[in-house]
Amino acid sequence: MFQGLAFNPFTLPPEAEALRADVRKFLADSLDPTSLPNSDFNAGDSSEFSKALGKRGWIGMTWPKQYGGQDKSFLERYVVTEELLAAGAPVGCHWIADRQTGPLLLKFGTEEQRKEFLPKIASGNCYFSIGMSEPNTGSDLASIKSMAKKVEGGWLLNGSKIWTSYAHTNHFMVALVRTELASENRHAGMSQVIVDLQDKNVTVSGIKNLSGEEDFNQVFFDDVFIPDDRVVGQPGNGWEQVISELGYERSGPERFLSAFRVLVEYSKELAEGASDDQYSILGRLTAHLITLRRMSISVAGMLESGETPITEAALIKDVGNAYERLVPEVVRLSQTRNPSARFLDTLSQCILHAPSFTLRGGTREILKGVIARGLGLR
Amino acid sequence: MNYLSEHQVLIQDTLNRILEDLCQKQTVDAAENGEFPSALWEALSETGLTLTGLPEEHGGSGGDLSDALIVMKGAGKFSAPIPIAENFLGRVLCCEFGLSAPKGIATFCDNFFSITPDGQLRGSSSQTAFGRWSETVVLIAEHGDETYLCACPFEVFELNEKNNMAGEPRDMLSVETKLTSDQFVQADGVARRARLLGAALRVAQMSGALESILEMSVSYSMERSQFGKPISKFQAIQQQLATMAGEVAASIRAAQSIEISKDLMIELDVAIAKARVGEAVGVCTDIAHQVHGAMGYTLEHTLNHRTRRLWAWRDEYGSEKEWQIEIGRFFSGNASGNLWDQITLLA
Repeated sequence: MFQGLAFNPFTLPPEAEALRADVRKFLADSLDPTSLPNSDFNAGDSSEFSKALGKRGWIGMTWPKQYGGQDKSFLERYVVTEELLAAGAPVGCHWIADRQTGPLLLKFGTEEQRKEFLPKIASGNCYFSIGMSEPNTGSDLASIKSMAKKVEGGWLLNGSKIWTSYAHTNHFMVALVRTELASENRHAGMSQVIVDLQDKNVTVSGIKNLSGEEDFNQVFFDDVFIPDDRVVGQPGNGWEQVISELGYERSGPERFLSAFRVLVEYSKELAEGASDDQYSILGRLTAHLITLRRMSISVAGMLESGETPITEAALIKDVGNAYERLVPEVVRLSQTRNPSARFLDTLSQCILHAPSFTLRGGTREILKGVIARGLGLR
Repeated sequence: MNYLSEHQVLIQDTLNRILEDLCQKQTVDAAENGEFPSALWEALSETGLTLTGLPEEHGGSGGDLSDALIVMKGAGKFSAPIPIAENFLGRVLCCEFGLSAPKGIATFCDNFFSITPDGQLRGSSSQTAFGRWSETVVLIAEHGDETYLCACPFEVFELNEKNNMAGEPRDMLSVETKLTSDQFVQADGVARRARLLGAALRVAQMSGALESILEMSVSYSMERSQFGKPISKFQAIQQQLATMAGEVAASIRAAQSIEISKDLMIELDVAIAKARVGEAVGVCTDIAHQVHGAMGYTLEHTLNHRTRRLWAWRDEYGSEKEWQIEIGRFFSGNASGNLWDQITLLA
């Protein structure tokens, strides 16, 4: 069998399962039952919710206590994450800071950076955006043009980032920028810098997505001064850092749960009795979901034991995103005679968000390339 | 990280050695032309692998169902043209419902017959797997609301030889005979049990076959050159194979869930696996054949042994739709708005 295709059974340990009831109780108390929950991690944000979550110790929970974390395992974090997403909680504010910025600073940041940012992130008070794509740079990340030039005490940044979720409400962005002109080695000369989104030389301009929300943006840098102590890791090491950031974060529950609320509402629609066709659709989609969850938990187990399951993670994202796209497409064809407004709203919200599922975090085509490499084809 | 026990790895290794030796393409071809692969069956019998998962006091080699499923996966990977699953199924049902161990090679007939309480059996089956190569036919017969499990000597049947689309014997058997009292037993719930076990065995066989066609497709794409380079270098081919890899990986994981079900019959796991793997078959066979081009559409290439079996097996012991309905009923009935709670109860 090929390397990277084995998802051997792994069971979440009791201490992780023990958290589940606490998280459910917290969610039952803090979510408004009349609101329309959305399991897409990008579809809802509430700083109030993020602060309450931080108070419970559920942001940055795997980080060391000295930086505001809880020293918990990845498996405990897995349970919290999947419970939040399944319930459709508004995780948008802290999502990136918790999932990407924190681990990045722990791995590559200076002690000062960790002390400055991590406790604020963990308490749910400090939010980050990702600055990777540019107007002419999507999948080909090495083609970025934003450039920071060395000046006294820091760097002067010019250029632009795009598709930046929540840049209009978040506090900072970790941007991948050129600190040297592009050379023959296109992966050299890039650095990650922390940009203060409140800086007067930063302009954030909203972009409306298909559902009419302005949750992502184009961000312009016009001579933005980046102090030396806001460079993350070594100048020039940006590419390596970004790749390690992208690598394993592809296998989490956010890669197959985005359409979950559609399934929940559909199961409620069928509760009073349904046709075999309708049952089969609920059954089909649940069978996919349970299998994906088992694969994802298996990868969480590998991560916890220090393995680097790159192919496995890409594979979960690819199969998981295809599943997220499938859910609304089959459910819409077998609705009940009198669908509830709540069901219809959930379904149309999902259809409008669905194109993003197979784009963000690595397009379907890029992921299939990663899997093909795992198969030895390239 | 290997989830198999040492003992199971040994089963797997022994099985693979025998299959590599004695289950070549010509063995499968010959079986399709009516020749029972006796060398293969004898080698597996001698090592006890035809009786893996059956208790020793019932004439078995010991072990449990998860051991048996490892054998089935290996057999599926090589398209072993033998009643390995049916022999197990017939025997395990006899054991569980209180009939003595069947004589010779057993098979199980997935149709209903009728019987009187004094043993008058009649009826016919349209597709008994490997009927002609069996010594004992295990079947289910009904009398009103009562269900009986019967173990009948092959001689009592009238045989009409038929094959499924994979060239595996699926014989018509007709019978009108009087069974002796040790040949049948009232067996409540046997039909459900047979359906679940049958589905579990087919899932294991299919997961092996799917793994095999992925390996074949990847190797073939590296050997086959067009436009001056191996077709594996074309993105269009890479993307197809990557899609297939995802479906195969999901199928293997779904099948493993049955293997690790301790009392095996976590019914939902079987339902999920048969539904998931059955769905993957369509996608994977489509891609495998596309990658193999016209060569894969011939009987000369061994791909057809795998794909034709996959197409036959996905419909046996319940198509994906049948199991999807069952899963859907379970979750809509039990979930009452709490679908997620139910999902997380499954390890």
